[in-house]
Amino acid sequence: MKHQITYSREHALFLKKCRRHTVIVQLFRVGVLAALLGLWECVAAFGWADPFLTSSPSRICATVASLYREGTLFYHIGVTLAETIVGFLIAVALGTSIALALWWSESLRQVAEPYIVVLNALPKIALGPLIIIWFGTGSNAIVFMTVLVGLIVSVMHMLGAFVATDKNKLLLLRSMGANKIQILTKLVLPSSRAAFISMLKVNVGMAWIGSIMGEYIVSKAGLGYLIVYGGQVFKLDLVMSATCILCLLAAGMYFLVVLLEKKLVKSAER
Amino acid sequence: MKREILRFDDVGLTYHTRRGETRAAEHLSFSVREGEFVAIIGPSGCGKTTLLSLAAGLLSPSEGKVENAGVSFGYMLQRDELFAWRTVEKNLFLPLEIKKMDTAEARKRVRSLAEKYGLADFLQNYPAQLSGGMRQRAALIRTLATDPDVLLLDEPFSALDYQTRLNVCRDVAGIIRREGKTALLITHDISEAISLADRVLVLSARPAKVVAAHEMDFGEENDPLIRREKKNFSGWFELLWKELNG
Ligand SMILES: Nc1ncnc2c1ncn2[C@@H]1O[C@H](COP(=O)(O)OP(=O)(O)O)[C@@H](O)[C@H]1O
Ligand SMILES: [Mg+2]
Repeated sequence: MKHQITYSREHALFLKKCRRHTVIVQLFRVGVLAALLGLWECVAAFGWADPFLTSSPSRICATVASLYREGTLFYHIGVTLAETIVGFLIAVALGTSIALALWWSESLRQVAEPYIVVLNALPKIALGPLIIIWFGTGSNAIVFMTVLVGLIVSVMHMLGAFVATDKNKLLLLRSMGANKIQILTKLVLPSSRAAFISMLKVNVGMAWIGSIMGEYIVSKAGLGYLIVYGGQVFKLDLVMSATCILCLLAAGMYFLVVLLEKKLVKSAER
Repeated sequence: MKREILRFDDVGLTYHTRRGETRAAEHLSFSVREGEFVAIIGPSGCGKTTLLSLAAGLLSPSEGKVENAGVSFGYMLQRDELFAWRTVEKNLFLPLEIKKMDTAEARKRVRSLAEKYGLADFLQNYPAQLSGGMRQRAALIRTLATDPDVLLLDEPFSALDYQTRLNVCRDVAGIIRREGKTALLITHDISEAISLADRVLVLSARPAKVVAAHEMDFGEENDPLIRREKKNFSGWFELLWKELNG
């Protein structure tokens, strides 16, 4: 029963304006990037600064190409990506489960509160030496660091959402005779979907912080390793290349979460 | 005379919190007969919502007794509380799912209720796409879904603007009368109580107790808009106003 909607001339004009605005914003976004890259290239090309210190887009491309030829490019990317994604998934799953347990039992929540506050405030990097001793120098240590950085944030984010469930809707369900499982599955979980998505978004950032920090402390491979190694041997091209690849990967991961959001929350509900 | 379906016998209720205790009801006695439409008015914060929770068995009284002859209740709140992530139809089925009555037969009954009361075209829409009046009607049909014996209505119109409110009020009252339900309506709006109810109970300030009870004398006239035009309407209004503020 979809009608063909016809708009007034004024509205058509308004829509046209909106579209033009979108195009302009997009143009400027790309333009700013191009200008920055161009400027950066010029700085190096005309010797305004020492390209050894500033690197340049063309040198980054060359570095990435040589990593690719050596066959190590995708190896390093793969290592870091795997650590980040595994750590991210564990932090999200474990964090949400802990939040659920704390929602379920108010006493448990009260007992856990001071621990959560302290763990949240603790700079996780302080645990670096411990992690090396416990988990060795492989990927396990880095995944653990990633989980550590994301976990408490996930718990606090989800618990906040669960506890904030609308009181009147709770009353409504209880008046229907709902038990706790039903309240959880019919109301608390579905009404926390938006919070879950925003927790995922926050955690994308947390996971990259965790994995790169972990690789700084201890690693034999990965983008964080390349950055540290590049810094130590003064190969700034390598540092910049790894950093640029990181940017792209983090953006890609964030974009996947946005796709998930579109799938999970239909626009008609709003 | 029809049988009593709900009875409060000298009921008292105290809320305990860390900050102190609140006496929400005291020596509260009244009863509701089958098929009756009872309105309860009282100053805000006097314990009206508490009274409904007691009736539905969500709270047990500190003193006295609440007897409900094993009847089933349907609860309707101030706002519609439709779940935004469910379609209207899925919202209507919610009580069926909760009470494990989700059979094809029950679904058919709910759908026919929705059709009868003008929601048929909106079943696959989300609540956000409905008007305030439509949403409140959907909330009522959700309440009726499990075919409860008694409807407990907690200021169900007070979140609507005046114009919508008069219409929705008439609408909802009409449905309740046609379905032959017993109803206990809480309101702080005197004219709403007079225009809808068979009997009006007046509560005191907190702790709530019944200070007056009146049978409305509008004969068979149940249309709230017509009742509002009747001569005796303003008489009732003055009397109840005095009792509420006296
Ligand atoms: N769960 C509760 N715990 C403590 N006090 C409550 C609770 N619910 C209501 N009260 C108190 O009981 C009194 C009556 O509340 P309520 O029944 O909601 O009044 P009304 O519906 O008439 O506005 C109020 O003073 C309110 O603060
Ligand atoms: Mg109330």
